[in-house]
Amino acid sequence: MTGALSVSLRKDGGGERPFRRLLIANRGEIAVRIIRACRELGVETVAVFSDPDADGLPVRLADRAVRLGPGPADDSYLRGEAIVNAAIATGADAIHPGYGFLAERASFARLVEDAGLTFVGPSSEVIAALGDKVAARRTVAAVGVPVVTGTLEPAAIEHPDDLPALLVEADRIGFPLLVKAAAGGGGRGMRRVADRDALPAALVAGSAEARSAFGDGAVYLEREIRPARHIEVQLLGDAHGTVLALGERDCSLQRRHQKLVEEAPAAGLSSDERGVLHDLAVRAAQAAELQNAATAEFLFDADRRFWFLEVNTRLQVEHGVTELVADVDIVREQLWLAAGRPLSERVVAAAGRAGNPGRHAIEVRISAEDPGREFAPAPGRIDRWAMPSGPGVRVDTAVGSGHRVPPDYDPLIAKVMIVDDSRGEALDRLARALDETVIGGIQTTLPFHRFVVNDPGFRAGPLPIDWVDAHWDSIAVERRAAALEVAGRVAAAAIDARPGVAGADAGSPAAARRAGGDASAWARAGRSAAIERWPR
Amino acid sequence: MSRRVRVQPSAATARPGDSARIVDLDDVDSATQRVDILVGAIRDDPDGARLVEVVVDGWRFELEVEDAARAELRRRATRAPDAATASGPTEIRAIIPGRVAAVHVAAGDTVEAGRSLLVVEAMKMQNEIRAPRPGTVKRVAVAAGETIDLGDLLVVVT
Repeated sequence: MTGALSVSLRKDGGGERPFRRLLIANRGEIAVRIIRACRELGVETVAVFSDPDADGLPVRLADRAVRLGPGPADDSYLRGEAIVNAAIATGADAIHPGYGFLAERASFARLVEDAGLTFVGPSSEVIAALGDKVAARRTVAAVGVPVVTGTLEPAAIEHPDDLPALLVEADRIGFPLLVKAAAGGGGRGMRRVADRDALPAALVAGSAEARSAFGDGAVYLEREIRPARHIEVQLLGDAHGTVLALGERDCSLQRRHQKLVEEAPAAGLSSDERGVLHDLAVRAAQAAELQNAATAEFLFDADRRFWFLEVNTRLQVEHGVTELVADVDIVREQLWLAAGRPLSERVVAAAGRAGNPGRHAIEVRISAEDPGREFAPAPGRIDRWAMPSGPGVRVDTAVGSGHRVPPDYDPLIAKVMIVDDSRGEALDRLARALDETVIGGIQTTLPFHRFVVNDPGFRAGPLPIDWVDAHWDSIAVERRAAALEVAGRVAAAAIDARPGVAGADAGSPAAARRAGGDASAWARAGRSAAIERWPR
Repeated sequence: MSRRVRVQPSAATARPGDSARIVDLDDVDSATQRVDILVGAIRDDPDGARLVEVVVDGWRFELEVEDAARAELRRRATRAPDAATASGPTEIRAIIPGRVAAVHVAAGDTVEAGRSLLVVEAMKMQNEIRAPRPGTVKRVAVAAGETIDLGDLLVVVT
């Protein structure tokens, strides 16, 4: 590929690069994100792909691509040995795992290390220590970081005889509580338990989902702190033991523990509170001997106290909002850190500003989910796609018109990120960007984001974690019904404009075009005026 | 002459509570809400209606549009079977594509409304499919491990 050749020539002539060739053990937008960082650094890239992703953007952008297998993740992106073999076969000297899939599996990091390759992330020991959420709670509690009340040992659910002991433990923690997967996050394997009667079923269901998602069914119990905000700290650490906090993100807008909107910094914190939070996060990370990139997650309760939840030893989906505020390319830093460099001056400067960042960034996750049906997955073929652009707008995506969103993976299809001087300005800019966003062919979470960006409650300040679960569904019913009312009129008019419909006039050519007169056409009608223009 | 059409969401995008509506085409300019509208290609429905995808403010609908008079005729012709099935079997179909993770009922089981019938795993999330009404399971059309598509028959409750 000539593109790769010219990039490597330029870098060979001009300077250093962290690696010669890097394999990305992931798919979708995050694979694209990592390829972009590599190309800028002159690092050649190897993509891996499953059959449904064979013509995806990562395969097209990478210098090389290796097929892993059919669609299901177990047969493709979770095949750790096949991925390491692909890296060896293609001469890659490092592997970036992205997020999800194998990113937080210590066994995979160890495979990479044992093969003599560099794993872009913390070491396998640190991933194991922090990936076991129960062990992580013990580690950080030992250095004085407050952890949410709960069990410090996994619940032995394989032994039904232990249930009485577990119920005693649950009574001590208090209801409502959460059953959580010891091996992972992202809400998978998590169940809310309102009272002790519901505990046994929640343990079984949570464990089954945890096993399906992480290959490990171990679960533990944790008190539910409500109301609360989810605030997390972006950390970077080097091989010399230095760990810095790049700033925090508020990810409180969630649906059943799946993040929908993230922003940086967390609104309404004083710079003193930010300092306390960043210090807790750094202390937790240093206790675990963290290197490379990670995120410490906390709950912020009504009494303005921070409670440690877990450390994610990987690049987060929402890393982009921190990049926009801190003016740091986190993936680029990850690559240099993995190559053994100390933290850069740019990172040190950004960490120094983290208490008073002076900018505000917001990300919305556009997912193939139906916000009118409890965010049920809605895979399918995208047949119209227009993303926003312009000042202060960044879109990370790997899909486009004609792309089929497979049912096998996470439904995230695009991250729309906004940056501006203040939260209010960022929200105005986000509203503008979402107005530019057009998606046809599949249902997405766009209606939710269009609502929330204009919601006076959200504009006044971040909403608590439960807000979406408690309020959205009834709002969704109303807003969908109003949309259906308009859609019915538009559909009737569109078909009326088409020649050959019984009882209808032929309509003007322009109207027919607007109405999608040819088989593949979409017509976009702009706002109120469009309805008035429909033929009569 | 009044030009009236009947519009209803197709099975793929319909939700409980959605009803068909009659739109008078001489009236369509009365809507003046500020909304974002996207109109897809128009297709023919086997029943003689036309299908069009419309996205309003991000909400996506597949709508069946049919001349109101013809829709009324067709409805009269099929009314008798409709009445018979009102208390007849209820077919529970897949509302998401995915894989059947578990089946909790067998033919002959008595179920209450809300009872979990099976679990469908899609995009790594487990989704419980529950009985929409009380009754007896007449048939379970899928087994654990099977891959299912949107609209596939899962369970019949009588």
